[in-house]
Amino acid sequence: MRIEKFDAVVVGAGLSGLRAGLELSREWNVGVISKVYPVRSHSGAAQGGINAALGNRPDGKEDTPKIHAYDTVYGSDYLADQDVVMYMTEEAPRIVVEFESMGTPFSRLESGLIAQRPFGGAGFPRTCYAGDRTGHALLHTLFEQCVRQGVKFYNEYFLVDLFKADGQIAGLIALDIKTGEFVSFRAPNVILATGGFGRVYKESTNALINTGDGNGAAYRVGVPMQDMEFVQIHPTTLYGSNILISEGARGEGGLLYNSKGERFMQKYAPKAMELAPRDIVARSIQTEILEGRGFEDAYVHLDLTHLGKNRIMERLPGIREISMYFAGVDPIEKPIPILPGQHYSMGGIGTKYNGDYGETELPGLFAIGECSCLSVHGANRLGGNSLLETSVFGRYIGRTLLKKGKSISASEDSIQKAEMAALYIIEELLDKWNSNTGKKPNEIKEKMGETMNRYLSVYRNQPDMEKALKIIEGLQLDFKDINIPTTERKLNWGLIRALELRNMMDIAEATVRGAIWRKESRGAHWRTDYPTRNDKEYQVHTMIYPGEKGMEIKTKPVKLGIFETKERKY
Amino acid sequence: MKETQKFLVYRNSGEGIIRYEGYEVPLKPGYTILDALFYIQDHFDSTFAFRYSCRGAICGSCGITVDKIPDLACKTQISAVKTKRNPIGLPEFHFGEHPNWDKENEILIEPLPNMPVLKDLVVNMDNFWKFYVEVQPYFTRDYNDVAPESKQSPEEMNAIERLVYCIACGLCWACPVNATNPHYLGPMQLAKADRFLRDSRISDEHEKEILERVLKDDGVLACEKYFVCNRVCPRGVMPGTAINDIRKKMEERK
Ligand SMILES: Cc1cc2nc3c(=O)[nH]c(=O)nc-3n(C[C@H](O)[C@H](O)[C@H](O)COP(=O)(O)OP(=O)(O)OC[C@H]3O[C@@H](n4cnc5c(N)ncnc54)[C@H](O)[C@@H]3O)c2cc1C
Ligand code: SF4
Ligand code: FES
Repeated sequence: MRIEKFDAVVVGAGLSGLRAGLELSREWNVGVISKVYPVRSHSGAAQGGINAALGNRPDGKEDTPKIHAYDTVYGSDYLADQDVVMYMTEEAPRIVVEFESMGTPFSRLESGLIAQRPFGGAGFPRTCYAGDRTGHALLHTLFEQCVRQGVKFYNEYFLVDLFKADGQIAGLIALDIKTGEFVSFRAPNVILATGGFGRVYKESTNALINTGDGNGAAYRVGVPMQDMEFVQIHPTTLYGSNILISEGARGEGGLLYNSKGERFMQKYAPKAMELAPRDIVARSIQTEILEGRGFEDAYVHLDLTHLGKNRIMERLPGIREISMYFAGVDPIEKPIPILPGQHYSMGGIGTKYNGDYGETELPGLFAIGECSCLSVHGANRLGGNSLLETSVFGRYIGRTLLKKGKSISASEDSIQKAEMAALYIIEELLDKWNSNTGKKPNEIKEKMGETMNRYLSVYRNQPDMEKALKIIEGLQLDFKDINIPTTERKLNWGLIRALELRNMMDIAEATVRGAIWRKESRGAHWRTDYPTRNDKEYQVHTMIYPGEKGMEIKTKPVKLGIFETKERKY
Repeated sequence: MKETQKFLVYRNSGEGIIRYEGYEVPLKPGYTILDALFYIQDHFDSTFAFRYSCRGAICGSCGITVDKIPDLACKTQISAVKTKRNPIGLPEFHFGEHPNWDKENEILIEPLPNMPVLKDLVVNMDNFWKFYVEVQPYFTRDYNDVAPESKQSPEEMNAIERLVYCIACGLCWACPVNATNPHYLGPMQLAKADRFLRDSRISDEHEKEILERVLKDDGVLACEKYFVCNRVCPRGVMPGTAINDIRKKMEERK
C-alpha cells in the first residue's frame, strides 16, 4: 500500500474543503482529496446566493450581522447554536468581500457594489449573487486561487475509511480511482468536507455524488451523527428530475398557483407569502397536492411569466435553461411545474460541546460544510446561509489549526497497526461482496430512497416511521449480503457506488431513529402526531452513537443566551 | 413513446481492446442519456465506466459523444436524440470500428474525442488541466477582506458573463486543431484567458502577463477558426469568439 504523509488532510474539494485547503497550505504540508475534480463538486450547482449583511441596497442599509444572526436563529426554530451563528454572520461581510477580491464575478448594482436580493426568512435583501449560478462562480474562484497557490490535490481519490491510533485520528484509507489501489493518507489532522447526503432520498436536488461518505466513515470510528432528523425539503424542484428551481425565482417575484388558479400561500403565510421559509412553503405545496389541488395530483405551478422576458433572461437565465432542458417548458411563456424534494441536510457529523467550531470528539478530526453539524442551521436552514457556512468555517478551521500549531502524531508503530487493520477490514469486505449471493446494491438503494421519500418527508408520524425503520433494518441485513464484482478495481464506479451505499445505509437509519425519538414538531421535522414544539424536552441536539447493540441516542445542549426563545411564525 | 431504446456503446478495457456492445434500456418519460448509462451499469455490467456528478448540466463531468456529436450525457433527453437540432459541420470522429450501427434505431455512445481513453467513456483530461494551469487563469492581486469591495458596473460585469460560465467539460476539445496538435492550449483554456483579459478589475501588468502566455504558436496563433468549439459548447461560452477577441486585443496593443 502506498503511504502519503501530511500535516493535515482535507477530504472534499467543494467550497468548504477548498477554503480550508487554501488557508492551511499557506504554512503546512496539506493534501486535499476529492472523489471528483474540484470544480465538479456540488457547491457549483448552488444557484441563489450567499448571505451577508453588506447593506449595499438602499432598502438594506439598516441590515447588520446581529439581525442576520437573529433571522438565522429564528429560522432554525431555536435549535441553532447561537454563538456559532453570531460568528458566522459577523464574518459574512468579510468573506463575501474576500471572494470579490479573489475575482468572483458577482452581479452588480448601478453603484458598482455587489448586488443583493431578498431571500426567504430574511429581514433585508442580503443575499449576494452572481446571476443564478452563484455556487459555480464561487467554486471556480476558489479553485483558481488554490491553483495559484499550488494546493496539492488528489483528484478522483475516494475516502473509504478513517483510522485512529492512540486515541486520536491518524489518517484515512482512500481508493485511487484511476489505478484501483488503496492509499494510506497519514495525518494527525483530518478535515472532513464531504458535502451533503441528499441521495439517501430518492427525490433530491443534490448531485448524484452526495452520499455522505465522510459521515459514514466518521460514524464508523465512533463519532456521533447529530440532528439527522432535520432534512430540508425544498419547496420548488422541477417535476420529473427534481432539479432545483432556486428560491431566487421567488425572490425575483415568482408566484405559486394551484390547479384552481389560486395563489394559495395567502392561506398559509399571509405576510411573507411566497417568501416564507422553505419548510413552510414546502408543507403548503404538499398540502395543496394532497388535498387534490395540484396538477396531475403531483405538482403546482411556479409562474414567472409576468416578470417578462428581459428580467428572466437577465436574472434567471440558469432557471430558464433548466426548465427548457429538463422539462421542456420556457418560463417566459409558461409556468414551471414544481414539487417539493429533499434539498439540504441540516444534521451531520456531530461536533463537540464547547470545542472549536467543527471539532469532533475524536482529537484531530474536524468537520465543516454541509457534512457537519456545527450547528448554524438548527432545525431549518435559511437559503443563502450554507454557501456562507462553507467558506466561513473553511477559513476558520484553517486559521485555528495554524494558530494551534502542528499536532503530534501517534507513535509510528500504532499508526501502522491501525492502518493495516483498516485496510484488512476493507479487503475483507470487498472479498465478501465479490463472493456473496445476495441482492445487487442498486435494488437496496432504490428501496431505501423510496422509503425515505415516502415516510420521512414534510409530514411525519409514528406508525409511518416505524414502518420505515423496519424496512431500513431489513435493508441493512440485505446489504451485508450484497453481490458485486470487486476484483477489477480500476475505474470501477459500480464498486464505488456500493461503498457509497454502505455510508448511506447508516445515514438513513440514523435519520429514522432520530425522527422517531423526537416527539415534537420543529423546523423541518414536522410530526402530525406531535404538532407543536416542545422546548422543555427537546430543545437539545440529537446525538446518535454507534453502540454495542446498534445505534444509541444521547443529547447535547443547545448554545442559547443571545436571543430569547420565541414562537416561530411568518 | 417507445418502450425501450437500443444503444451501441463503445467499450475499452483500457488495455487497448476496443469493442462495441449493444444494450437495450427501458424508457421512462424525461429519461436522459445519463440515466441510460446508469441503467447499463446497474443491470448489465457494474464495471462499465463513465463520469458524472450533478446530473443538471452544471458540473461538466459527463461529456461524451452521442451519435457522433459531443454532448453532456445528463442534458440529452433520449427521446430527443434522433430529432434534436445538432451543430453542423463537425469533423468526423473515429474511435473504433462499428460496422453494425443501425443509425435509425440505435443511439451510438462514445467517449469525448481528442483525449486518450482510460476506460470505456472515461478519458484522460490531464492535458486539459495542465494547459489550464499554464494559462494561469486567476487574479494575481493580493486578496483581502476589508470592505468595501472593489467596484464594477453592471455593464462591465456583462462583458465577462458569457465567459465565466464555462463548466470545464472539455467538449470544445473536439476542435480539429486539438486532433492534430497535442500542444495546443485549447479553446477552453484560451476562453478562460479572455475571461480575465476582459475583466475590468484586471491590472495592466496582469493583462500583459496573460497575453504573453497565450500569444504563441501553440496558443492563439494555432487557432484556425473552425469554430467547432462555439458550436458544441453546452454553455454558450463561444471560445472561438474569445480567441478572436484576444487577437484583436493583440493588434490594438501593437
Ligand atoms: C441545487 C442546490 C442549490 C443550492 N443553492 C444554494 C444557494 O443558493 N445558497 C446557499 O447558501 N446554499 C445553496 N445550496 C447548498 C450548498 O450549495 C451546499 O450546502 C454547499 O455547497 C456544500 O458545500 P460543501 O463544501 O460542504 O460540499 P460539496 O460542494 O458538496 O463538496 C463535497 C466534496 O467532497 C468530496 N467527497 C465526497 N465524498 C468523498 C469521498 N468519499 N472521497 C473523497 N472525496 C469525497 C467531493 O468530491 C466534493 O469535492 C444548494 C444546494 C443544492 C443541492
Ligand atoms: S468552453 Fe464550453 S465546451 Fe469548452 S469546456 Fe467550457 S463549457 Fe465546455
Ligand atoms: S453530470 Fe454534471 S454536467 Fe452532466
